[in-house]
Parts: sequence; C-alpha cells; structure tokens
Amino acid sequence: MTALLGSRPDVPTDVRPGAASPKRRPRRRFSLERSAPLVLVFPAIAILLVFRVYPLVLGVNFSFTGDQELNGVFIGLDNYVTLFTDVRFHAAARNVIVVLLFVPLEVLVAGILATFIFLKVPGHRFYRSVYFLPVVLSPIIIGAIFNIVLAANGPLNDVNKALGLPVIDWLGQSNSALPSVLGVHIWATFGMALVIFLAGFSTVDQELLDAARIDGASLAQTIWYVVIPELSQTIQFVFVTTTIGMLTGIFGLLYTMTAGGPGAASYLPEFLIWKLNGEAKPALASAASVVLLLLILVIGLLQIRVLRRATKEV
Amino acid sequence: MKRLISSAALGLAAALTLTACGGASTGATGGSGGGGEGGSADRLVIWNWGASDDAAAAFQEDVVANFNETHPDVEVEIVSQPFDQYYTLLGSAIEAGTGPDVALFNGGTQLKSRADSLIPVTDELSDITGDLAGWPAFQADGETYSAPMFLQGFPIYFNKAIFTSAGLDPENPPKTWEELGAACDAIEAGTEVDCFALGNKEGLGIEFFMSGLGSGIFTADEYDAWIDGERDWTSEHARQVLTMWAESSANGWYNDGANSTAMFNDSFDLFSGGKAAMVIGLSSGIAHWKQFDEFLGEDLGFMMPVTTNEGTTIALPIEGGIGYGVLNEDKKDIAVDWIKATVERDAQADYALAGGQIVSNTTVELDTDITSAQEIIAELPGSKPLLHTALSGDTLDLLHRSASSCWSAR
Repeated sequence: MTALLGSRPDVPTDVRPGAASPKRRPRRRFSLERSAPLVLVFPAIAILLVFRVYPLVLGVNFSFTGDQELNGVFIGLDNYVTLFTDVRFHAAARNVIVVLLFVPLEVLVAGILATFIFLKVPGHRFYRSVYFLPVVLSPIIIGAIFNIVLAANGPLNDVNKALGLPVIDWLGQSNSALPSVLGVHIWATFGMALVIFLAGFSTVDQELLDAARIDGASLAQTIWYVVIPELSQTIQFVFVTTTIGMLTGIFGLLYTMTAGGPGAASYLPEFLIWKLNGEAKPALASAASVVLLLLILVIGLLQIRVLRRATKEV
Repeated sequence: MKRLISSAALGLAAALTLTACGGASTGATGGSGGGGEGGSADRLVIWNWGASDDAAAAFQEDVVANFNETHPDVEVEIVSQPFDQYYTLLGSAIEAGTGPDVALFNGGTQLKSRADSLIPVTDELSDITGDLAGWPAFQADGETYSAPMFLQGFPIYFNKAIFTSAGLDPENPPKTWEELGAACDAIEAGTEVDCFALGNKEGLGIEFFMSGLGSGIFTADEYDAWIDGERDWTSEHARQVLTMWAESSANGWYNDGANSTAMFNDSFDLFSGGKAAMVIGLSSGIAHWKQFDEFLGEDLGFMMPVTTNEGTTIALPIEGGIGYGVLNEDKKDIAVDWIKATVERDAQADYALAGGQIVSNTTVELDTDITSAQEIIAELPGSKPLLHTALSGDTLDLLHRSASSCWSAR
C-alpha cells in the first residue's frame, strides 16, 4: 500500500504527526517528475515570451515615447493624440470599414466555389488547382500584373471600350482605387479560404445529409439547416483569418498598385505604419501598430461572437 | 525516467548558459569596436542605396581607392540597402544604435530632417567649399553636414522630332506659360502623342511641377524667402501653382492614367519611347540627359522653365543632390576623408561622363557633345535651389496627397 501511494503528496509515507508533514510537502512539489511538464513546455513558452510577448511589450512601451529630438522621452498619450488628428489615420480607419465589407464577399466566393467542388462539378480537380494557384504568387508580382491589367489604357479598359462601357482609371481615382486593390486581393487569396472550406466539408456528417434527403429537404434547406451549422467553426475560422489577411496582408498590393493614393484614398493601417516609420517617426508608427493590434483583436472577437449566433453553432 | 528528465534539464540549462555567454561576448566585441577611440578604428561602415549601373559601380571603386590612398589600413564596408526602404531601415538602425558610421543622404528635406542624428562637419570641409556647388541642400542651422557629390535638378526635356511634326519650332521652345499651352494644344491636335509624360501614382508629380516651373511663377524675392523658410501658402503665387497644376491636367496635357502611373520609371519610359513631347526630368542618377540621349539622340532638347508671371527671374532649378553624412562621432576624422574622396575631381570627371551626372565639382569640364548637358551646365551660374526640397516631410506628404486627390476628382 505504501508503495502504491508512494508518489502521492497528499498521503504521507511515514505517518509522523506534527510539523514534519507540512514541511515535506513543498519539497515534494518540486520533484523532477512534477516539473517535467514545465521543463518540456519551457522552450515553447520561452520562444513565445522572448520573440512575441517581449517585443510586443517593448512596442507598446515605445509608443509612449517621442520621436526625433524627443527620442526615448516618455510623452504619455501624445502619439495617440497626434494619430487621432491625422487625416491619414482617419482615411485608414474609414478604409478598414470598406475592407470589412469585402470580407463576406471573399468568404462567399470561396464558400460557393468550394461547394461546387464538394459537389464534384465536372472538372472539379482542375478548378481546385486553378483556384489555389494565385495563392502561391507573390503580392508584388500580382500587383505588377494588375497594374498593367487595370491601367488607364490597359486590357480591362479595352474590353470596356469595346462593350461601350465607361473607361475608368481604376487605380488613379479615389473611389475606385481601394475597391480595385481589394478585388485583386480577393482574387489572389480566396484559394486559401477555399482549401479550408474543402477541409471543413470533409468533416460534414454524411448521415445528417442522408437524413435530410430522406426527410425531403431541398438543396437550399440542406445547405441552410445542415451544411452551414456543421461548418460553423470552419466559417468562423475563414472569416477571422480572411479579416486578418485583409488588414495585415494587403501591404504588398497597396505598395505596388496605388502607393496609398490617390491622396489617402487607399491607406490602410499597416500602410500608414510603414509610412510613419519612413518619415522618421518610429514611435508614432508604434502607436499606430498598437491601434491596429487592438482593432484586429476587437474585430476578431466580435466576429466570432456574431458568427457563433449566425451559424447556429451546435 | 528520472535520469532522462534530469539530463534533459541539464542539457537545456547548458544550452541557455551557452546562449547567454554567446550574447554577452558578442555585446562585448561590439562595444569595443563601436566605442573605439577616434581615428583608431580600422573599419568604416557605409550605407548607400547601391550602384545602379556599371558607371556607378566604377565610381564607387574609384572613391574607395582614393580613400584607401590616405587610409590604407581602414577597411571600407559598403552596405547597399534598397532605396524604397532606405530611410526606414536607416531610421530603425539609428534608433536601435546599430546605424552605420557614414550614410548616403538626399540633400534638402531628407538630410535636414535628420540633422539631429548627424555630426556637423562645417570646419572639416571648409577647405573644399570653393570647389563645389550645391552646398545649401546639405546645410541646416548654419552647420554643414555633408558635401554634395552630384547636382540634382529638374530640367525640362523635349522631343524635337515631335515638336517638328506638331508644326512647332524645335530650336525655339516655349518661353511663357501661354506659349506652353499653345504648344500643348498643337501637339494634341497635330500628333498622336501626349504633351507631357507624367507619373503621379506616388504624388511626386507636383514636386516636379512646382520645382520645375517655380522660377517663372514666384518672384525672385518670393523664391528666396521660400527657400529660407518664409512660405505663405495662401499667397497668390503659391495658390497659382496648384491652380496651374489642376488646369494642366484638365487641359489634357498628360498621358492617360497619369494618376496611376509610376514616376520611376514608367513615365520617363513614355518620354524615352517618343510617346510624349516633354517631360520634367532629372539631371543626375536617373531620367537624365544621358539616359534620354540613348533613345532620342539628336532629337533630345532642353528648355528652361517658362515665364508665367511678370517680374520673375527664370532660373534652372538645381542643387546638391546626394552626399554622405557622418553618424559616428568616434570615426568623424576618417569619415570626413571619405566624404572628400567622393568629391575628388578625377573620379567625378570620369563618372560625369560615364554615368550621366551633373557633378558638384565645378572644376570638372563635362567632355560630351550631348547638347542638352552642355546647355544645363551653361545655366548653372544663375541656378536656384529646388522649391520642394525645402519643405518638411509632413508638408511634402500633404502636398503629394492633395495633388493626386485633386486630380482624381476629375
């Protein structure tokens, strides 16, 4: 019995009443077996702390200091005040809303096309690779390609001209620049969302689908009452990753396609961060980064909450 | 099991100790190297944005050779950074205390806005002041921070063949704003090409427009006051710049989609390719007389800014373009010798010809028969600094944005 209980700290091995047992307990807590899990997760946690959390704290701390002659001086919230009065920040904030409007579009495109592939439309294997192809292209290359396609005298406008549609300088007009870039971003990245959807489809319970069919559910009813609730976690995941991708992964396209312009019409927070740093205001750029981080955090959490309800997660 | 865990823990501890040792020893080496006593350090770390062509690479070799004549023991380490991110990277490196000893800067705003990170070298360069032109772009608050290597200006180039086919006299380019407007109308009506090549994607067009044509818009007094920092953006002539900018676009002077065309090098390619009659280009580095000459040859013409307002004095807009600034106080002496090596006469003379530069060393004679280059040099004595490089980074950025968004409303 003693041997069986030997390693249990709550059962003292030698039953000596008094002060002895509380003294022994803490020593046993630090035995090698007990600390083994800690030792094993230590590298992962250390890497996380040193390369993620520590720089994050440094960055947040840096955002409370000044730039140039005030370099390293604590200036409180001044950077944030400056930021909130900057017209470029206003433009970037407005554009975040535009970006959020495009997120459902990308999810919808990926979701519908994934459904077609799932339903094995003719040539579905071919389409699966074609849809994924742009994902492997560098944003700079995609930007360069679409700079030509969308140029004022480019192929798209030639088609428009031939069809009698108006010719637009897609990337040179305030109201069309950002939507054009977002459209290209969707084209370039929906393949990844599509693959995630396909992975999600493979987890849909076939019995539920069969049951729905036996109950006489139409295709729309099957999708609405069976597929979407079954895929709710996938949809949430795609929504959140697409949003993050749009807010943090569009820099390359912006840089090559519009350079934030015309004016500040296509500024997004990450582009603003880069611009501010380039203007020798790294601390102000840090403040903008903190705001972007909070923004993504809030939007991400809200999305998950909203989507949980919308997709009737089981 | 116990043994396994304890050896794992031991291994981890050992690894951590080693890493810690490594970190400490690296720090110590860096400390003794960076904090070396003035002049005794045997390495000079230099940042620039690389050599764009063979001529630039040859010039860099010449400069290193010149420098090593006086400092044979000093190892020159040149780090080329991408130009697009140059100032971002440099700013971050300076911030982190890992900046170079010497770094290349554009004159004007880029250097002046960073003057607080630079070591003044006013007295050290006083002996070469007389040989070089273009100093003001490298001076701030009465101190000199660098010596100009090349002169950067915004000359207006034109295509004589297009002028001829539009019925204009290529030997007598427009001299007033009205004549320029009439010339553009003639080009529009008589040819298939555009009047001006322009790329305004980054908003840079307004810089070229303002500095390229400024001396014909502002009076000499207004011009000098502007350079000295007394600027009235609500003045008649300052507003006129923006009005003219908007009108020129409304009148169809530029290529289609100018607002989404990159200045470097799409717009200059339009001019080189004979798709536009005129362009406000540069005098050094890129988009200059030599580059255009390769495509247009005899057809390349140069013209001065046009007179818009009475009482103005037409001047070629040109000033010190790029130069090296000193960042490490400890290596100031050898850094100054590096700067002097970059403006040495023979190296500059070779590069001027090979690379198409208008160099700062006024004792250099440019041995070329490209007429536009000789015409630019002939205008140097009456030249004036660029209007836009006197502006702060914030103002320039605002100007870029306003100038591109006022067009997109069209």
